[in-house]
Amino acid sequence: MTNTIDAKILAKMFLAGAKNLESKKEWINDLNVFPVPDGDTGTNMTLTIMSAAKDVAAMKDIDMLSLCKAISSGSLRGARGNSGVILSQLFRGFTKSIREKEQLDILMLADACDKAVETAYKAVMKPKEGTILTVAKGISVKARELAEEGCSDFTVFFDEVIRCGDEVLERTPEMLPVLKQAGVVDSGGQGLMQVLKGAYDAFMGKELDLSISEAPHTESGKANAQPDIEIKYGYCTEFIIMLNRNFNIKTEMDFKEYLESIGDSIVVVADDDVVKVHVHTNDPGLAIQRALRYGSLSNMKIDNMRLEHEEKLFKESQAASEKAASEEPAPHKEVGFIAVSAGDGINEIFKGLGVDHMIQGGQTMNPSTEDMLNAIEKVNADTVFILPNNKNIILAANQAQMMVKDKKIVVVPTKTVPQGITAIINYVPDLSAEENEENMKQEIHRVKTGQVTYAVRDTVIEDKEIKQGDYMGIGDSGILSIGGDVSDVAFRMVKEMMDEQLELISIYYGEDITENDAEQLRAQIEREYPSCDIELQYGGQPIYYYIISAE
Amino acid sequence: MSRKVAVVTDSNSGITQKQAKEMGVFVLPMPFMINEETFFEDITLDQEGFYKRLESGANVVTSQPSPESVMDLWKEILKEYDEIVHIPMSSGLSGSCQSALMLAEDFDKKVQVVNNQRISVTQRQSVIDAKLLSERGMNAEQIKEFLENDKFNSSIYIMLDTLYYLKKGGRITPAAAAIGSILRLKPVLQIQGEKLDAFAKARTANQGKSIMINAIRNDMENRFGGASADNIWLMVAYTKDLEAAKQFSQELLKEFPGFDLVINPLSLSVACHIGPGSLAVACSKKIR
Repeated sequence: MTNTIDAKILAKMFLAGAKNLESKKEWINDLNVFPVPDGDTGTNMTLTIMSAAKDVAAMKDIDMLSLCKAISSGSLRGARGNSGVILSQLFRGFTKSIREKEQLDILMLADACDKAVETAYKAVMKPKEGTILTVAKGISVKARELAEEGCSDFTVFFDEVIRCGDEVLERTPEMLPVLKQAGVVDSGGQGLMQVLKGAYDAFMGKELDLSISEAPHTESGKANAQPDIEIKYGYCTEFIIMLNRNFNIKTEMDFKEYLESIGDSIVVVADDDVVKVHVHTNDPGLAIQRALRYGSLSNMKIDNMRLEHEEKLFKESQAASEKAASEEPAPHKEVGFIAVSAGDGINEIFKGLGVDHMIQGGQTMNPSTEDMLNAIEKVNADTVFILPNNKNIILAANQAQMMVKDKKIVVVPTKTVPQGITAIINYVPDLSAEENEENMKQEIHRVKTGQVTYAVRDTVIEDKEIKQGDYMGIGDSGILSIGGDVSDVAFRMVKEMMDEQLELISIYYGEDITENDAEQLRAQIEREYPSCDIELQYGGQPIYYYIISAE
Repeated sequence: MSRKVAVVTDSNSGITQKQAKEMGVFVLPMPFMINEETFFEDITLDQEGFYKRLESGANVVTSQPSPESVMDLWKEILKEYDEIVHIPMSSGLSGSCQSALMLAEDFDKKVQVVNNQRISVTQRQSVIDAKLLSERGMNAEQIKEFLENDKFNSSIYIMLDTLYYLKKGGRITPAAAAIGSILRLKPVLQIQGEKLDAFAKARTANQGKSIMINAIRNDMENRFGGASADNIWLMVAYTKDLEAAKQFSQELLKEFPGFDLVINPLSLSVACHIGPGSLAVACSKKIR
């Protein structure tokens, strides 16, 4: 058994971890405490790690330093959602510790785990226990313990560390009551365990499909596993062998060795009586002939990658030049604003209030740090205020803030769209960025927000039983109303939100609500609170039928 | 024997013809064109009549007093007085000051035009101050100098009920013009020195009031040497809604107990730009 890990093995382990996380994505999404159709933990973590996996998969000559850089910068840029940001910080700390090494031993891994945990804790303003952080910490403590005991067998090491991680994960409901009530373990912690388990499988030599070409939801629509360089092997060849003779480890090794002699990007996955094969080669016939020795073939697919590549390059350059032509540089300003927004009505409102650039997302899809960085680049201003407008996007914005050097970035931690609106309304051009930041941070707590959406599964939260498909009114700190009628749920939510100090209720209705229904709700609220100003606006946001604020 | 000094201002000061007589000062009425017909503030046009026309959507245009009317008034006054201190509305908001300065050149230093950028209640306070200074024996030139040195010792914040008139009027800086929005906002403007400019925005009247109170307290403490009753005049001004102004005054006196506070309607030339339902708070440093 090997007692060191080099860059090639680590890369393979990383990709396997990413793939395993991706395959468990939906399962992890279901662990989210709030059953809202939000950008979920599994999806966010997968998109985060896939952003790095793309870069790793595209590497030709793998050495430790460039691998570490790819993992670190790829995941930092791709980070989405709180768990995604924490995961990216774990990778950043981990790779920082090992980037100068060539071969890793157990002591180095223990050091790297410590560094990872330290970095991640620092990235979170108020670290909460019972989360991915706790799981990571448990793992690092175990790793340190094993290293100090003189453990030199990686198999034992990984085995123990993963078992310990699972144990900590199982204990998360004891640390966070919301988890216990919903009857789930922490989703971020589970995501981290899936990464480690995938990596362990790869280390143990389990053959896995490591092609990253089908990563979903990537920015360009399709992941780019192929860098824009000359293609050595021209035909992407895929098929499945229906085995009619024994295919053991020995035959598998032989077969792979043969494929390696005629091409690269080889994937051979054996599963009972079928073997899935993927190879890039200049002579697909050779691969097919050899495979016929083991059985009959099906699902054969051969693509000329050179043609596709040229076409892709052509399309890309065309798109790039069109884009460049259509985008005039914005005039320089002292201060600019970026808001995360969803819905054409909300977009218009932010635009009218002076927001320079809107990042679409928020409710259904959490934008990544890279989306933030791109937006920041587009805003030609010395100081850029970012309004994340969702509590799960604030960390990604903070991460972007730390990565930008040529502009001053101020993240106003707005958790909802109404808070974002309040923040920009309170911006005073005469004050300094610091004074404005301070002022906005105070003002955003003067507005209460309630949002009406539907439950994606059955659960119990705060002793309230929720059935899949129920409408829920969610306030700043929990569920305010539940029911089967959307207007009624919205109305009862408002009643829960109100107190005597409040004088303005703003209703932003979503794309699935008719103006007529919204107007009826407005009238109903007006009858209940005749002394309040009620403002009805079209928000056009998806998923959330109503976003209602009171101030 | 000191020279006899008359104090002249325009109706932007909010001083009515009646009050002027009581105070012993002279007020030049500002002319208005409403649907091409000329009216004079407080002479042929009262507040009620003005708002009625403004709200009915009439085309209201302000103008400055004609040179003739200014010079006629001055000549008339100089029959009785030796000198005149003339305090027009802020040069940042009207050409009145510029014209007056030009016209005064023909009066051989007998007319001293004060360019201290005041408007409404703070302009009114300047008139009262000028009167006091002349009683203390200052001549017109000394009063002018004193008031101009004192010009940054006041500030005004105005909360508008609507953006409509502001957009229609156009006498605002680009910063203020940019506050267009689908949302119903109550902009808070400030008059500081030359310009009427956007200061902040609020969504509700109470938010707007609290913004103004904080801003004025900040000015008192950081610019005018302390928020104390013996140092500061506090003023409330309004367009159309006196009740709201009274209510706001009560709230202000809770924040600034024991302060001298006056309530005055905003002059019509300001009102036609900001519309009815506006509330303003102003302060100026008391002269020693």
